[in-house]
Amino acid sequence: MKVLAVIPAYNEEECLNDTLAKLAATCPDIDYVVVNDGSKDSTGAIVAGLGSSGINLAINTGLASAFRTGMKYAYRNDYDAVVQFDADGQHLPEYIPAMAQVLEQEDADIVIASRFLDGTRSPEGPRGMGSKLISSLIAATTGTRITDPTSGMRMYNRSMIEQFAKRFDFAPEPDTVALVLRRGGKVVEIPAEMQDRQGGESYLNITSIITYMSRTCLSILLFQWFR
Amino acid sequence: MPLQQRLLLLCGALVAMLMVVNKIKKDKILMVDSIFWVVSSVVMMVVAAVPELAIAFSHILGFQSPSNFVFFCVVGFLFVKVFSDSAEISLLKNRVDELTQELALMDVGDTSHTDETNGSDQDESR
Repeated sequence: MKVLAVIPAYNEEECLNDTLAKLAATCPDIDYVVVNDGSKDSTGAIVAGLGSSGINLAINTGLASAFRTGMKYAYRNDYDAVVQFDADGQHLPEYIPAMAQVLEQEDADIVIASRFLDGTRSPEGPRGMGSKLISSLIAATTGTRITDPTSGMRMYNRSMIEQFAKRFDFAPEPDTVALVLRRGGKVVEIPAEMQDRQGGESYLNITSIITYMSRTCLSILLFQWFR
Repeated sequence: MPLQQRLLLLCGALVAMLMVVNKIKKDKILMVDSIFWVVSSVVMMVVAAVPELAIAFSHILGFQSPSNFVFFCVVGFLFVKVFSDSAEISLLKNRVDELTQELALMDVGDTSHTDETNGSDQDESR
């Protein structure tokens, strides 16, 4: 199975090189593509040096658009699966082979690396409240309990790659997980650890958190039934 | 607030909601951009259902009638919305220019990545 790691990067000069080195050392047979989302720092220069594994977007377009650029790349280069992987070092490449195995064996559409599946930890703080809310909305509308809907480490199969490459307003977010479940798709979680971000700053601020939560909740509660 | 006005308000809210859903169905609006309209429709429904709210506020703020207060609020919100849309259109114009320039420079064979001047004023949430 040809697996591609899509790594969106926005102002990640501090940790991008480390992340790529760890990924290449742990999973030498997995290809990756870094999509620089119009960063203001030197991320663009790093990405320019990656050859065909680096894509520089001319302007900042947002996480979803950067990720979808990677999905178009995967679709055009006939990859069987794509793993969404953070540039900031939060995600551990050790889990990628396990995710690929589950994706193949269970014929799943999405495999999520869940921090909360084994039950030893539970979501905490404001972030955790958001995660719990989204989890219960997904359970209420689809009947399936996703323990870590906001986990950014997800693996998608070929049919998902095509949808990301072609469909309108299709984001690598929990509402897409809900949409897939409601359409009868298969979403599987595997237990995983994650690290704190290894440097740089997060994409998120107050306005974008409110927008994110409103969009996600409205999408799951209302728009899901019409898309 | 007269019953006819409350019914009108309710109808308006329902029509707005239907229009949003229809656009979503046809892939003609991003979910992010429809938040404003869904929230507005819900607020209109609440005002239609609980007119005591509008009545109380119109007394406090010195409006002669609750309907005046409702009109005032709607006009106010639309002003803000139109202004923020103007600002967003400006950004979009700038982005089209930026992209056109980048494309043109590509033709000249300039393959260096983009400089720091872009992105500084962009909306990073989308």
